[in-house]
Amino acid sequence: MRVAMLTWEYPPRIVGGIARHCEGLAKALAKQGHEVHIFTLDFPGAPDYEEQGSIRIYRTRSEVGHPNFLTWVLLFNHFIEKRMADTCKLVDFDVVHVHDWLTAPAAVAFKRFVKKPLVFTAHSTEHGRSGLHVPDSFTIDGFEWWSTYEADKIVVTSGSMKGEVCGHFHVSDSKVEIIPNAVDTGPYEGSVDRGAVRARWGIQPHEKLVLCVGRLVPQKGIEYLLHAVPVLARRRPEAKFVIVGDGWYRDHLEYIANTSGQRWRITFSGFISDWDLIALTKSADVMVVPSIYEPFGIVALEGMAAGVPIVASQIGGLTEFIEHDRTGVFVYPRNPESIAWGIDHILSNYGHAEWLVKNAREIVHKTYSWEAVAKKTAKVYKDVMG
Amino acid sequence: MGLPSAPEVPEEFRVLSMMHNIGAITPERSLTTDELSLWTGIDSATVKTHLQKLRQGGYVEFVQISGIEKYHVTRNGIMKVLTLYS
Repeated sequence: MRVAMLTWEYPPRIVGGIARHCEGLAKALAKQGHEVHIFTLDFPGAPDYEEQGSIRIYRTRSEVGHPNFLTWVLLFNHFIEKRMADTCKLVDFDVVHVHDWLTAPAAVAFKRFVKKPLVFTAHSTEHGRSGLHVPDSFTIDGFEWWSTYEADKIVVTSGSMKGEVCGHFHVSDSKVEIIPNAVDTGPYEGSVDRGAVRARWGIQPHEKLVLCVGRLVPQKGIEYLLHAVPVLARRRPEAKFVIVGDGWYRDHLEYIANTSGQRWRITFSGFISDWDLIALTKSADVMVVPSIYEPFGIVALEGMAAGVPIVASQIGGLTEFIEHDRTGVFVYPRNPESIAWGIDHILSNYGHAEWLVKNAREIVHKTYSWEAVAKKTAKVYKDVMG
Repeated sequence: MGLPSAPEVPEEFRVLSMMHNIGAITPERSLTTDELSLWTGIDSATVKTHLQKLRQGGYVEFVQISGIEKYHVTRNGIMKVLTLYS
């Protein structure tokens, strides 16, 4: 099959889970003999056109900008449409697959132009991310509804997301397929010098490294982890925290850390390289995923693949691949006491933590491979092609 | 839990976001403080203050062209902006 895939983020332009999802899916589809054409936005230092085996990447620069976000989105969609129109003179696509609403205007126009079916993957919704309080959010919500309406099939990564999409957009159950996210376990297989990595992050041999990875935005719930720091410190004075990632909420989170009386325990790393992140994850004693909204939670899956015990909010997609006290530990979302309990539960029971890691790794290897995701996705493509 | 309510998006972040959306993401597409002031509708002095903070965070860089400072968003700045929308 020849697939036209649209996404506003594709490596090296990585924001959240979508870039990793699209890359993992594209590589696995290509391995299974499909031709994947990625239409995405430009990024400094990345080529406008790139071939990676049977994956072709078209990075499009928006020639005209505008300070308003929605106007900018419509402008870059126009330039992606133009690029796709040029490409379809040379390539006869079988299916169009768009990820999230941001590139949906181009995808819908293209679907109608080439008269091919459209698959829409809804990674999250504006309703879930931010609630609907401001005009831009209503417009984004409208774009999302429109995408579900125009799509021949909708893919979501969890049952919780399926409920959200069917309920909020009034979509019929049969139109939505659940295909969970996956993780490439290869990069996590190698060994790292744990002591050296921990020393680089200021962790002494007797100290415990609590890791949190994510965009610094409210829905990731990191403020609740920060409020848990003084609670945990009373029980576990050897605990230190590294928060990896960046985002518009960072100043506020740093303010909470600064006023916690425990600032010296907390490091905000900002963005770090993939390699550093893998080494840090493999060197951590526990990974916390304190999200308050999480359609899937790929970061927890990455932690499980890396062999670090997971403490996660009992919420959304996380509840569908973590089993409490068998492959991870659930805590109540928005509850610092509960988060502190979960971390302490892991740190106090080394043997049990090892058992959780073993079980988690087994599940990841058995169920959450990109190969399986690509097979299920290709079946969706075949279904919509009729 | 009685935790404080979430703050608004900081204004310097809005400036960063607008720089990104108008395309000032590479040295050759960088803009002067005055140009940024016109694009964003924020006075030059305030833009300058925000740019200083953004530079300290590594989200913005400047280039000097004929003695004039022009600013653009860095790769980390782009990734930070995109967190607002995803």
